[in-house]
Amino acid sequence: MNMIHNLPWLFLLLPLVVAAIDWVCLNKHPRLAATLSLLSAAATLGLCIAYLTGLQTGTPGVYTWMPCSLEQLCLHLGLVMDPLAMRMMLVVTGIGLLVHFFSIGYMKGDSSNLSRYYAGLSIFMFSMSTIVLADNLAMTFIGWEMVGFSSYLLIGHWFNKASAADAAKKAFITNRVGDFGFLLGILLTLGFFGTMNFADMAGKAAGIAPAVLTVTIVCLFCGAVGKSAQFPLHVWLPDAMEGPTPVSALIHAATMVAAGVYMLVRLQVSMGVEAFTDTACNIIAWTGAITAVIAAIMAVQQDDIKRILAYSTLSQLGYMVMAVGLLAGEAAMFHLYTHAWFKALLFLGAGAIIICCHHEQDIWKMGGLSKRMPLTVLCFMMGTCALIAIPGFSGFFSKEAILDAALAKNPVFFWIGAGVAALTTFYMLRLCIVAFMGPARDHGAEHAKEAGFTMALPLLILAVMAVISGYGFIANDLVPFNGFHAHGFALGLPFYVSMGSLALGILLALAIYGLGSRTKDPLAGNCISKALRNRLYIDALYDKVIIGGLQQGFAHLMEFLDMFLIRGIICQLLVWISVRIGYLCSWLQCGSLRAYSLVSAIGLVILLLLLANQF
Amino acid sequence: MFESSLCQILFCVLAALAMLCAIGVVAFRNPVNSAMCMAVCFAMVAAIFFGMGAQFLGIVQLIVYAGAILVLFLFVVMMLDIHDENHSSKTGWHAVVGVLVAGCTAGLILKAAISLPGATDTPCPVKTLCTSAGELLIGDARQAAPQPVEAAQYGGALPELSAAAAARMENPSISAEDAAKATSISDVKLIGKCLYTHYNIPFVILGFALLSGTVGAVALARKIRKD
Amino acid sequence: MIPLAHYLILSGILFTIGLAGVLVRKNIIVVFMCLEMMLCASSVALVAFSRAQGTAGVPVYDAQVLSLFITGIAAAEVAIGLALIVAMFRARRTVESTALNSLKD
Repeated sequence: MNMIHNLPWLFLLLPLVVAAIDWVCLNKHPRLAATLSLLSAAATLGLCIAYLTGLQTGTPGVYTWMPCSLEQLCLHLGLVMDPLAMRMMLVVTGIGLLVHFFSIGYMKGDSSNLSRYYAGLSIFMFSMSTIVLADNLAMTFIGWEMVGFSSYLLIGHWFNKASAADAAKKAFITNRVGDFGFLLGILLTLGFFGTMNFADMAGKAAGIAPAVLTVTIVCLFCGAVGKSAQFPLHVWLPDAMEGPTPVSALIHAATMVAAGVYMLVRLQVSMGVEAFTDTACNIIAWTGAITAVIAAIMAVQQDDIKRILAYSTLSQLGYMVMAVGLLAGEAAMFHLYTHAWFKALLFLGAGAIIICCHHEQDIWKMGGLSKRMPLTVLCFMMGTCALIAIPGFSGFFSKEAILDAALAKNPVFFWIGAGVAALTTFYMLRLCIVAFMGPARDHGAEHAKEAGFTMALPLLILAVMAVISGYGFIANDLVPFNGFHAHGFALGLPFYVSMGSLALGILLALAIYGLGSRTKDPLAGNCISKALRNRLYIDALYDKVIIGGLQQGFAHLMEFLDMFLIRGIICQLLVWISVRIGYLCSWLQCGSLRAYSLVSAIGLVILLLLLANQF
Repeated sequence: MFESSLCQILFCVLAALAMLCAIGVVAFRNPVNSAMCMAVCFAMVAAIFFGMGAQFLGIVQLIVYAGAILVLFLFVVMMLDIHDENHSSKTGWHAVVGVLVAGCTAGLILKAAISLPGATDTPCPVKTLCTSAGELLIGDARQAAPQPVEAAQYGGALPELSAAAAARMENPSISAEDAAKATSISDVKLIGKCLYTHYNIPFVILGFALLSGTVGAVALARKIRKD
Repeated sequence: MIPLAHYLILSGILFTIGLAGVLVRKNIIVVFMCLEMMLCASSVALVAFSRAQGTAGVPVYDAQVLSLFITGIAAAEVAIGLALIVAMFRARRTVESTALNSLKD
């Protein structure tokens, strides 16, 4: 009856309860923990499909978490069930389920605490669902922080490795910077829109000054910059590859990093396009464009297979953010959706390759894998084709949608997008040629064998999705956007330009890397390559300026205050005073019988003197 | 009149001797001399007690102080074979301050004694002392302190003792004529009566205190065996 | 007859001489003797007051009983005190009060 309306709360409760059970009770039973997490992911996927197909309908009740006398300050917990949210949930739970399944094969034989790993995955599922289904910004923020937390847990899963622990810290702290802006943005929204509820925001933007709107949107965008790893705060994502590969696929490629884009689109939908002023849009679009370009450039000279994919993720996220900035939320969500499938595929494929090559991640130590593990390589190639937007694959449609929007709005972004597409083609083909063709260059690659069933099945499913998910008949029903309609592509400037950049990328890659006969990178060795390998020195700059300069300076200041004020003045003074008092009292307590008797006699005299007034 | 002045002269002589001996206790370097002086001092005090008509107390004073306690002191001094105190210049200021403090005390006490009301109507100094002490301690002693009674008498000469009144007190049933025939006061009987009626329980407690003192002394002075 | 004041003066002087002895002397046995003298002085004052307070020719015997108690307590005190002195002498081979300064350690 009434309870059935509240069924969607299971999206949140199921993973949360499972995470708690995994963490607390099943420390010694990783298999049971894996099964439970898998079942919860499957159950949420089933529930999601039930809602999408209309088998189950109805909106869940709103729960007032923190009541307040002022209605607008109350914290409500409510769920939105519109197509934007539910189809996003399909992506999250679908890829989530596949990643859980993949993890069983991937993490087999790992000596770390697997219950903790699966608990982390379940916490992530819970938090991501919270972001997706949240009906107000406060709840989004809760999920926002929770995904940051689960990402921290999972990046640092192998916390014995110093690099993993550092990467987890880096991701968490970098996100904190963005989250600060996000929190400011939420408060500004509450202040100027008078509500945090998405449903109530519509139409209120008209009465607010553009400057205020710009500041509000930019502050909210800060959250997306942190979470979606946009340009100034992008540094954490490549380092996050220290986590297990399935985690990278789920969190750092398909879903969590896309949360920023999702949040922006959600705001665009609920606040209305008019809330996004030109200035704000320009900031957003340029941030996305810059991220897309520098990430693509950096990807060209990476050797670690996961890092190449990480930079490619950054670049694609840049695309999406750019699309949001161009007020093409539809295109952004379309790309988010296709990208989720093919990037998860690429990451899981990379994971399978890494496992089969005995934990080798350097592409220059692979080679010839197409002969040894053809199925995995085939799936990986499907993903690559989708990513470099070969016509007929899903990525082509969504990238085309973004390029169309860019051309319509501002041709500069169109040309940037086209250039990034060429770079993407180049570095992905570089990866494929070096890793899959030619002779094996190391023992790991020589003895590689085809991945097992638990790893192959998710790859196959994702490969299918990577191919077909872009076609209108599927996309119309599944792309997370209210009333999405895939418009068929037309032979126009965008098509020719993207074909051109595709051809350029392929030709360049073939020209430089041949067919896999090279044993080391011909582009390496010069100063540009060095700069690219060092990530354009941005990380070093942050280390130097923010950590070395600001943080250390602040730490020195605090240390000085601590030493001088707290220790020096307050503590030492107190100590000095009490020591003096102590000495004073210890002089009284001289331990000499005669002195005591003398003192008591003096007391007697004083008493008598006081009494003497009476006579 | 003669008798009275004889009494006064006697008192003055006894008091002077007592004070002299007291000074001797403090002044003699040799503890044995000090102990001897103390015995004489106590004996003089006992004689003063006799003069005040407190014969029982005088005898007790002689027996307990001049007898038992003195013997104990002498015994300990002899047993420990203590030699003369050696003066050290280091503690000289101590003695000076001690004497100064004692002088102050003496001055204050003498002032209190001399300014006794005598013929005037001021209340008894002891009562005033108590009252003001109470004031000092509890803040409001006027309520607790009893009203002054016959204040005028305290400062002057001690009242004469009356054997008849004592006899009446000793035995309330005897007639006035029989009481008038009594010539002396048997203050042992009267103290005993007071002690065993009003102060019975404190007396028993005192007995326990003495007993435990004895046991404690034995326990303390016993040689502690090394095992 | 002798006025009360004389007795009180005698008692006060004895008391102060005792006090001076307690403060000045280092030999703890002598200090103890002086203490006894101070007690004795208070006895004198008590007996004098018992006479002064007496009505109809009879002294107040409560004061004399009190003085008797003082004597008894003094006896007990001497017993304990001298035992302590003996113990102290055994431990330190001296009866100087300056030797009693280990309380602060």
